[in-house]
Amino acid sequence: MQQVDLAVIGAGPAGLAAAVEAATHGVRPVVFDENYRPGGQLFKQIHKFFGSREHLAGIRGFRIGEKLLADAYRLGIEVKLGATVYGLFPDRQLEVVCRQQKLSYQAQKIVLASGASENTLSFPGSTLPGVMSAGAAQTMINVNRVLPGKKVLMVGTGNVGLIVSYQLLQAGAEVACLIDAAHQLGGYGVHAAKVRRAGVPLKLGYTIVEAHGEEEVSAATIAKVDEKFQVIPGTEETLEVDTICLAVGLTPLTELAWITGCKFTYIPGLGGHVPVHNRDMETTVKGFYVAGDVTGVEEASTALEEGRLAGVAVAEALGYLDAGAAREKKAEIWRRLDQLRTGPFGSKRKQFKDSLIKEWSEYEQS
Amino acid sequence: MHRTAEAVIVGGGIIGNSIAYFLAKEGIKPVVVEKRDIAGGASGACDKAIILSSKNPGIHLELALKSADLYRELAEELGEEVEYRQEGGMIVIESPAEWETMERFVARQRRSGLNIRLLDKKETKELQPVLSDHILGATYNPDDAEVNPIMMTLALAKRAKQLGAEYLLHTEVTGVEVAHGKVKAVETSRGKIATNLVINAAGAWAPLIGDMAGLKIPIKPRRGQLLITEAMPKMIRGDILSAKYIAAKYNPDLVAQGEDLFSRLGVGLSLGQTESGNFIIGATREFVGYDTGNTPEGIEAVARNAVRIVPVLERINLIRTFAGLRPYTPDGIPILDWAPEVEGMFIAAGHEGDGIALAPITGKLVLQLITGQKLAVNPEPFKITRF
Repeated sequence: MQQVDLAVIGAGPAGLAAAVEAATHGVRPVVFDENYRPGGQLFKQIHKFFGSREHLAGIRGFRIGEKLLADAYRLGIEVKLGATVYGLFPDRQLEVVCRQQKLSYQAQKIVLASGASENTLSFPGSTLPGVMSAGAAQTMINVNRVLPGKKVLMVGTGNVGLIVSYQLLQAGAEVACLIDAAHQLGGYGVHAAKVRRAGVPLKLGYTIVEAHGEEEVSAATIAKVDEKFQVIPGTEETLEVDTICLAVGLTPLTELAWITGCKFTYIPGLGGHVPVHNRDMETTVKGFYVAGDVTGVEEASTALEEGRLAGVAVAEALGYLDAGAAREKKAEIWRRLDQLRTGPFGSKRKQFKDSLIKEWSEYEQS
Repeated sequence: MHRTAEAVIVGGGIIGNSIAYFLAKEGIKPVVVEKRDIAGGASGACDKAIILSSKNPGIHLELALKSADLYRELAEELGEEVEYRQEGGMIVIESPAEWETMERFVARQRRSGLNIRLLDKKETKELQPVLSDHILGATYNPDDAEVNPIMMTLALAKRAKQLGAEYLLHTEVTGVEVAHGKVKAVETSRGKIATNLVINAAGAWAPLIGDMAGLKIPIKPRRGQLLITEAMPKMIRGDILSAKYIAAKYNPDLVAQGEDLFSRLGVGLSLGQTESGNFIIGATREFVGYDTGNTPEGIEAVARNAVRIVPVLERINLIRTFAGLRPYTPDGIPILDWAPEVEGMFIAAGHEGDGIALAPITGKLVLQLITGQKLAVNPEPFKITRF
């Protein structure tokens, strides 16, 4: 069994940021990712980030990924790819399957940054080839350079639905329309405007009823829903599409956190059951930290900051950073996080995240 | 809360629920006290085999055969889908030594009325094409069956409830009140239940309940770690066991002497595929107290053993692991008997890995023993005084 200072699970923005931050102060981390490419979702994000310069505004997601990776290599961080952490055992023991090989590690600290997975919907025809998550379509066009179809129906108008629709248009597909069962737009107006300007209709208060096709999707029936999300009979319409993308939210990938027995709470606005943590991102299990979407679905920018926070906290806990310097660094990161969590969507998330931290304190006191 | 009951059954696993069902059907309305939930212990953490092939000829096999008959009736009688299927069972043989042992085992089983036979290498492969080429042959019993143990336990509970049984779930037994050598009441985390009859069906936890009445019950928890894979198209028929499993089961000393990982953890294959296509892969047999955790060595040993026998499993992802505590007795046979010196306490536990297979006959036999009815089998071998 190998002994390591820090094991980071997930090489997305949160995990890489945690590793880079910790390594900057002298910690020796190992990063695991079950994918064969690092960067998580960053490498399919060809759009520019929002916000101010210190939040990397105006920089495209994949550039942020490249920068993080360059930092990681410069600092000599070991990034193990194709490495699935299948279990966490007492005393922070990690069991890993890496390219058909079994590896065991014992870590002084663990940062779990496993991210989130896309939700799905079931409806008649939902298992037909051509029905896919929006994230899968985005990977196909932006990473693999393959167009998933010629004419697309996008289900969901959150930021993922809006951005992927626009990128599908850029990649040469036609987007028939975007629908959302909610009666208001799910994502930012600025993203919606780009899609609207391209002449794509956004139909709010609509759901998908059925996907048609023999071997693959050839059409989709959509219909209006009432306030209780029930289909209003007689409002059905059928669209000729060959691809149906589902952008219906994300759920934190929390399996490894459950295994540790750390305390969870249920916050639908963060994606469901999430581990509670303190202002250092440490859970109720000592030495086990979380960062990024695993503890509440937000954005790459917040994931980066949470990762840095965990990295600083780990460096401090392992004695690589004195309390004064750590306090300053954490305050700075928190200031940026608070700025990111503003606006109509952000302030809601701040409220959720604050309640999560409050639950951690209540648990610790009880 | 203060109540009285005709009978209190401690344990909401498949044994407790089968007893509850048979009692309630006869008009005796028990209260079932379960510290977790129905099938919250070993009955919800096991495989799905109702296997006769693995049973030692003699009383053990006789009991299993009777239980198998009852299963067919019950699967109908309960009127619930319990995924009962009779697809046969196979015990694969990997060495000439195992072949010799199994040849003798099968001959004795056949004399006890089991419709089992030995298959050569070719016949074995024809029946289960996924088996490794090193398999020399197998025993095959077409009467081995499968059931979803959780659905079965729930179905028994549902029917027992309809017939008047009461359930106190998430309720822990904290004491057994005995006065002048007689059971008076069961104390629980939700109050006292006055009763003259306590049935201890707490499985691996039965000795702890025994302690409360000053009774020594020679049952030990034995951990079985199992693995679940992702769902796949149907690739195997019925259940597959390995002859090593038989060795691990009946000869723990032999296992303890082995120095390799498999022997140390008592690993023997038990493999089945659920209705939804997931493989259930078992299992270790370890004495580690009441720890229900999975261990890296346990997971690895069970997985390696399964891949050796069914190589295609190497390419199928595991999605979950769990462990259950089997109630082990020194001779592998359950205790179904009145407690000596404590009048009104009945013990129905110690089925080790056969709880699912033996649940129906256990329920019936306990009813017969309690009410003094004519017995389905000779109860002598199940007496606690044998130890």
